[in-house]
Amino acid sequence: MAEDFSSPVDIEGDEQGLSGLGLLAVAMGVALFVLAMLNAHALAAWADGLEPGARSARIGAVTHGLADATAARGLDSPRAALHDEWNQVKAARFAGQQDANQR
Amino acid sequence: MLFPTLDFGLFFLPVLILVWTVGQASNEWRKIILLLASWVFYGAWDWRFVLLLIASAAINWLLAARIQRRLDDGQGVQPWLAIGVVANLLILGFFKYFGFFLEELAPILVAAGFGRDLPVLEVILPVGISFFTFQGMSYLIDIARRKTQPASFLDITLLMSFFPHLVAGPIVRASHLVPQFQSVPRLTRTMVAGGLILITWGLFKKAVIASELATRLVDPAFFDPTAQTGPDLLAAAYGYAVQIYCDFSAYSDMAVGLAALMGYRFPRNFDQPYRAASLQDFWRRWHISLSSWLRDYLYISLGGNRGGIWYICRNLMLTMLLGGIWHGAKWTFLIWGALHGGVLAIERLWREFRPAGFPRLPTPIGVLLIFHIVVVGWIFFRAESLEAALTYLAQLVAFRPGVALAGPLMCGLIAVGMAFHFTPPGLFAGLTRRVAAWPAPLLGLAVGLAVLIIDAMRFEGVAAFIYYQF
Repeated sequence: MAEDFSSPVDIEGDEQGLSGLGLLAVAMGVALFVLAMLNAHALAAWADGLEPGARSARIGAVTHGLADATAARGLDSPRAALHDEWNQVKAARFAGQQDANQR
Repeated sequence: MLFPTLDFGLFFLPVLILVWTVGQASNEWRKIILLLASWVFYGAWDWRFVLLLIASAAINWLLAARIQRRLDDGQGVQPWLAIGVVANLLILGFFKYFGFFLEELAPILVAAGFGRDLPVLEVILPVGISFFTFQGMSYLIDIARRKTQPASFLDITLLMSFFPHLVAGPIVRASHLVPQFQSVPRLTRTMVAGGLILITWGLFKKAVIASELATRLVDPAFFDPTAQTGPDLLAAAYGYAVQIYCDFSAYSDMAVGLAALMGYRFPRNFDQPYRAASLQDFWRRWHISLSSWLRDYLYISLGGNRGGIWYICRNLMLTMLLGGIWHGAKWTFLIWGALHGGVLAIERLWREFRPAGFPRLPTPIGVLLIFHIVVVGWIFFRAESLEAALTYLAQLVAFRPGVALAGPLMCGLIAVGMAFHFTPPGLFAGLTRRVAAWPAPLLGLAVGLAVLIIDAMRFEGVAAFIYYQF
């Protein structure tokens, strides 16, 4: 191996507890569950972009069903609130700043 | 298929499951799964390019075997090495530079009366061709230099096709990756934690910082500099420096992170480049896999540091000019390379002839100076043409008052993007060690929430990575 090879993931650490593979499997599972519950509309939007057909219609039905179910329980509101906050940050202007679209 | 999209996520998940289930039992099957996945990934752009990739791997595999045989027989390898380098350069040259030469040649041929004979040929540039042809060349040169052994056809094809690095690097050498292909890798907790942090961090840099800066500041400023004010043009120049760093380093971070989750180690490609106090130092921190490639296979082949100071300066200049042209057949890339080569040569001359006792530049001043030289280079790099770059610079110097594009968010993103360069160098390793000790559900929750926050902040849609075009 060449002398100057170093990888950002070459880090010595405590390897106690679940193995690396176990950590990956559980962490990915939880992350996917969190995203499926709090951001189901992203899946629905992705399904909307698929080429029309019987398969994409079935996928669309499932993803929209999930999005509707999570929205009915208010699970989509954290993401919506964050998005609104971010849009307010984007809309902020310096005093006296011209509008880029109206010059 | 772009990394920060759901398409890619839905592609990567089954691949990850397969490599750690089927691939856990058999390393050969693991590599076959990775190879097929890489072809699916690359074929999403254009299936024809997969054939080019396979052909390129086959040529390099055959030539490597031939070179090794001659080495074993004690014969010279230069003819076969030359054939290999020329074959790789021909592939690269045809797809990347043929159109440019035709375009430059057209006025001359038209003036000479051959205009009607000009072929109408539009060559589509295969994504990432510069990366995999450079990989092929370094493989052959390393074998000729006895730095690595010929790999099996499966290994060399996987090396060149492996999807995390395939389209925008890092340029991973055979001597680094092929030994990792020899057995099923072991996945450590720090690799998982580091991989997930890198992927999430890369997602933030690309989807939030780079995309926002590109769409709301940099693209409008470079589209028509004559319509912009001085502060906006200055902010857009700084903004592009941050954008290209966040864009390119995000790809590298995600590539390293994705490979880590599959058990492979890719080299570091960025190391806080804008904290460099000399241009030589900048190139030790920026696109490290390319700069070390240029050093090992071009600069040293040209003579490197041998032959006296003027030869060194010539070699620096030639290396950077060719590095510029590697990015594409445009005069702006040539000037970008010339600027870097010229400043590197001046730095070298200054080190050689600096009068004894002459005070050294304080480091903060050096950092500021080098950053601004790099920013000027980026203006040429980003501009559509030489004329557009010169117009941008002229408008910047004219400095018309007023601010329209550079609002609080843009200034904030530039400041954040610059601040990354001045964090403690051991921050990532320390964070990774801490996160690796977390319980798995907590790590999953943190990753899920981080991705949710990024998704709430991201620009609608994702633009291709800047380095996809190279």
